[in-house]
Amino acid sequence: MNLFKTSGDQSNANKRDMLFSFQTIIVAGLLTFTTIAFFFYNDLSIVKGIKVVFAPFLSVVPLLFVLSILRDLRKGFVEGNYTKQEIVKFCVITLGITLAFTGVTFLLSKIEALEILLAGIIAILSIVFFLRSKIKDILGMSIVTGIAEGIIVYMIFLF
Amino acid sequence: MLKRSLNITFFITVGVSLIVFIYLIFLGYDEIKTLKDIVKIVSSILFPIPILFFTRFIVIEHFLPENTDEYKAKHQKSATKFLVVSIIVTVVLIQLLEAITNKKLENALVLAHLINSTTISSYVFNFLLYNNLKANGILSGVLLALAVHIFFLSA
Repeated sequence: MNLFKTSGDQSNANKRDMLFSFQTIIVAGLLTFTTIAFFFYNDLSIVKGIKVVFAPFLSVVPLLFVLSILRDLRKGFVEGNYTKQEIVKFCVITLGITLAFTGVTFLLSKIEALEILLAGIIAILSIVFFLRSKIKDILGMSIVTGIAEGIIVYMIFLF
Repeated sequence: MLKRSLNITFFITVGVSLIVFIYLIFLGYDEIKTLKDIVKIVSSILFPIPILFFTRFIVIEHFLPENTDEYKAKHQKSATKFLVVSIIVTVVLIQLLEAITNKKLENALVLAHLINSTTISSYVFNFLLYNNLKANGILSGVLLALAVHIFFLSA
């Protein structure tokens, strides 16, 4: 509710930043949800306990490394409107990523091993947080939206 | 701003959507057997939210009408027209779809959930952020049509 209350006295860039954060939180929640759904649905048992503990490091360590050496890729959010051409372009990108992530989620559902599944999902989560912290732009927003929608479309229509 | 936005209409519309939702759950209660069905329902409810955030992200400055009396008076007629037209169009559309595919909407409850959640989240979004009366009319119309279809037209 804070978003709606304070939206009057904020700059557009700040509002965009906040929306981007919300989107990231949604994707993180969705991925957790996906993990739980796949775990239960595929009857994956936690037998290889040690491997499962190490699986996330596989993707978190490279993320931290990349984050530490890279400078910010984009300038941040613009204050004004986007042009019509940009809007069309980024909507197409979002649609493309949605389709791609429907496929990726499908592939994830085919994975039988718990530790590989976990590593895959944490890798996607790492990508999202990378986008969140380095590509603060409409491009980042469309990619994050695409990921969220891709997972949801898979869950509704194909799962 | 918040006080102005949340009036009784808002609560009633959200309430209608909620009742439709509960009724849909009730209708499909026998079919909810596995985790898969729950996942589907939850996903269909979550579906519109990222799209809405994205839309809001892009159209951050467009149509932010002040909710003044003049604005209301000016758009009363067109908004009412939109409401009536969208009720009729949606009811006819659902009937047509049922006739073409030979299926009842009750057998594709995920679709009904999808329509319900998309409409109500757009409605809430529109109400809180833009207060565009025409969009308000269309969305209320779709929601009402869905409610009418589910409660009265599907015996």
